[in-house]
Amino acid sequence: MMDLVQLAIEERGDVVIARVTGELDLAGAPSTGDAIAEAVPTSARALVVDFSGLEFIDSSGIAMLFNLARRLGSRRQELRVVAPDGKPVARVLDIVEFNRAAPVHQTLEEALAQVSPDGAGS
Amino acid sequence: MKGLPELFNLRLKARSLAYLFTAGAGLGALSLLLPHDEAVRDLQIWIVVGCALAIGLVLYWTAERVREWHLQLALAAGTTLITFANYYTGTVNLYALLYTWAGLYAFYFLGTRAGLAHLVYIGVAYAIVLAQREPPSPAIRWLLGVGTPLIAGLLISRVLDRLRAERTESEERAVELRESEARTRFVLDAAPDAFVTLDAEGVIRGWNRAAERIFGWTAEEAIGQSMRTLVTPEEFRDRHDERRQALVDSEGYVEPAHFEVELQRRDGSRFPAESTVSKVDVRGEILLAGFIRDVTDRRRQQDEREALLREQAARAEAERVAEMVSGMQLLVDAALAHRTLDDILVDLVARVRAVLDADAAVIYLAADQALTLAAASDGMPDDQPDEPLPFGEGFAGRVAAERQAALVQDPSVDELPYAALGELGIDSQIGLPLLAEGEVTGVLVVCAAEPRHFTADDVNLLRLAADRVALAVDHARVYEREHKIAETLQRSLLPERLPQLPGLSVAARYLPAAAEAEVGGDWYDVLPTPNGGVGLVMGDVAGKGLTAASMVGRLRSALRAYALEGHAPERVVEQLNRLIWTEEDESQMATLIYVVVDPAAGELRWVNAGHPPPLLLSDGGGPQFLEGGSSVPLGVLPFPDFSEVSMPIDQGSTVVLYTDGLVERPGENIDLGLARLADVVRGASTDPQQLCDRVLRELVPGGAAPDDVALLTLRTIPMADRFSVELPTEPEALAAMRSLLRRWLMHADGSEQEIAEVVTACGEAATNAIEHAGVGAPFEISGHVDGRSVEIAIRDHGAWRAPREGDHGRGISLMRALMDTVEVVPSPDGTTVRMQRTLLDTNGNGDRQ
Repeated sequence: MMDLVQLAIEERGDVVIARVTGELDLAGAPSTGDAIAEAVPTSARALVVDFSGLEFIDSSGIAMLFNLARRLGSRRQELRVVAPDGKPVARVLDIVEFNRAAPVHQTLEEALAQVSPDGAGS
Repeated sequence: MKGLPELFNLRLKARSLAYLFTAGAGLGALSLLLPHDEAVRDLQIWIVVGCALAIGLVLYWTAERVREWHLQLALAAGTTLITFANYYTGTVNLYALLYTWAGLYAFYFLGTRAGLAHLVYIGVAYAIVLAQREPPSPAIRWLLGVGTPLIAGLLISRVLDRLRAERTESEERAVELRESEARTRFVLDAAPDAFVTLDAEGVIRGWNRAAERIFGWTAEEAIGQSMRTLVTPEEFRDRHDERRQALVDSEGYVEPAHFEVELQRRDGSRFPAESTVSKVDVRGEILLAGFIRDVTDRRRQQDEREALLREQAARAEAERVAEMVSGMQLLVDAALAHRTLDDILVDLVARVRAVLDADAAVIYLAADQALTLAAASDGMPDDQPDEPLPFGEGFAGRVAAERQAALVQDPSVDELPYAALGELGIDSQIGLPLLAEGEVTGVLVVCAAEPRHFTADDVNLLRLAADRVALAVDHARVYEREHKIAETLQRSLLPERLPQLPGLSVAARYLPAAAEAEVGGDWYDVLPTPNGGVGLVMGDVAGKGLTAASMVGRLRSALRAYALEGHAPERVVEQLNRLIWTEEDESQMATLIYVVVDPAAGELRWVNAGHPPPLLLSDGGGPQFLEGGSSVPLGVLPFPDFSEVSMPIDQGSTVVLYTDGLVERPGENIDLGLARLADVVRGASTDPQQLCDRVLRELVPGGAAPDDVALLTLRTIPMADRFSVELPTEPEALAAMRSLLRRWLMHADGSEQEIAEVVTACGEAATNAIEHAGVGAPFEISGHVDGRSVEIAIRDHGAWRAPREGDHGRGISLMRALMDTVEVVPSPDGTTVRMQRTLLDTNGNGDRQ
């Protein structure tokens, strides 16, 4: 019916930035996850999923993130998530302890700065 | 020939003379029977008496046949007998009287000359008697001497008077007759018509000037000739004789007889004539008098008149054809003016039947080399064949296969379009192929029963009609195809069903124009916006049909895209204006109103691009038109100023959007329509469905609007401490549910973070319900706020699945982490998740670590 979630892909060098805005729930998460995965070439070093503009996330969105983490991990690619504290999304990521799967950053710049110079960072 | 002359006819004269002789005989007999002088010789007197009696009797009995000279002879004989009687009686005194009578008779009955001759004879005879006999006495001799001259003088004076009178009379008569004849002749000669008199044998006796002119024979030449041989063409002579004889033989007075004949001129040329013949009895002679008129001119005039009539008839026919053609043309126009093919076909067969004065007309439509009966003038038959008729089979099939008009006399039942026509006694039928761009698109069949009988002329006439019919059918088909596409397209552009918006109640109606018009450019849409509001769109693209429909499609897609990106209403409308402005078709224009209802914020924002103002119906308040924020329609200016207006709305308010078709009526100020709408809405049910129904019922009576009508109403349901709503088990329902929950939690005075957390927990429960419940069965979410305690229950109709490790295990963990208590209650007909959380009294520090 409608897309409450929007996705914008940007490539900076060999780092792919996926900006997800709106609300990520069961209606949009699976397709968004697929779209992001497809946007990351095997040559990319890292993927930064930017949730700064995301208003809502539920377990479907979390599942999407875990799936991405698994996929990238198998390809030795880094995944970093940007979710500023105080927003509902950060709260949810905190509850599910997502930082055990991938690092969560306050800002995009911080995430990009910490991308390993080459190859698997973590 | 009746009256006076009748008194003097020969028969009467003969009878009178017979009486005279009989009387004289009686007088003689009397003188013998009475005592008389010895000198009387009885025998001789008896002989004289006998002769007189005999003559009298003969005259009496032969009065019918006598001729004039018979009478003269009888009178002379009478004078002789009187003389003999005088001689034999020896007395002359009595017989002077007889002489006098005889003389008088002679004068009255015979001509003057005959009368004088008798008088002389009487005088001589009496003188002889007087010379033979001496008068018996001086007195008698004196009497005779005086009396005889006296009587003779009287007689002579009488004779002279009569002679003079007769001469005068005869002269006058002659003059009169001459004048009369001259007059008659003049009149007859001046007459334009021939006047011909025939005797009973058919011999020409009269021949006027006109007859000379008409026939070429002069009167001298014609008179004495036979009418039969002179002017009657040979083949008509027997008929001429029959007619003449019939007239001559007729009894008494006969009405003049009229004949139309053909006669011959002197030069042998013939001419049509009319004759009026009267039978005339002139002194016992039968004549036939006839006027003969040359009617060549009249015939020519008549022919000319008939030609004129024929020409008029032909012109009338031509006009009829022209009328029919224009009728067909009108039909073609009608076809273009948005009529359905079926309607046109029904109209066509009715018209064709009327124009040709036929008894039935049917139209087949062709598809895949086969014909299907599409319309019949008497309605579609019950016994219509199920299978289409292949080209080449049956009468219509042959017409289609040969692409030629066909005329069949006395068709068999198999050749009729359908069997029921057989009962009409159809005895001729015409079939014509309907050709459009060289393709057989159908067949027109027209049937006639006695006394109507089709001829080749009808085929030609119908051929003309068939071209029009084919054109009309073709247009109608093209139109219908286009109409269907446009309609389908437009229908697809209207929301199939409105989104379920918790806390909001929405209803919409779309009423296409009544007169089978092309689909219009009215459209509406309802779309949730990312920030939890709902966008209401009502638009009207100028124009109709496919173009308008496709424009609606593009506007709709664009609006959804811009709105979902979270653009403010004025930005959205600006983008739409740019879309239309950059259209190649410069005439594109649209009105649009875009209203965003944010129930959580209790705010209404809108931009109006030339559209009728929306109506706001506040809970408990009167209707109010939202006049602000109005600017030019889309596509008019490149950079118009679309100003956004906002106003707070109370919960329980209703917004009504509509297109001009609802409020506009031809020739009426739109303010009246707006006032009518406000009146209808005032005091109406606040339920959007009922409100829509009422508005349409009141403003579009009978559902027949002259223009398309679109109507959209939205009501914000007032939030209470309790709420309960059913939602479809679809992922798309989740956003709506969150929107509702946010509103409700704001109503419960939760902090921003508390609201986000409760909404997230409820989202997890709802996701579970959607993923596990059976498709189609809705799930229900209900809430209850009691003081600072918020209780929420989510009930589905599926089986709860035990939380597993992995993705779905996170859902329950989230719920537990975000709520104070979480309880999952499975039951045979579904699962209920109950959650509770106590909100903090003060804002700011409600998050749970």
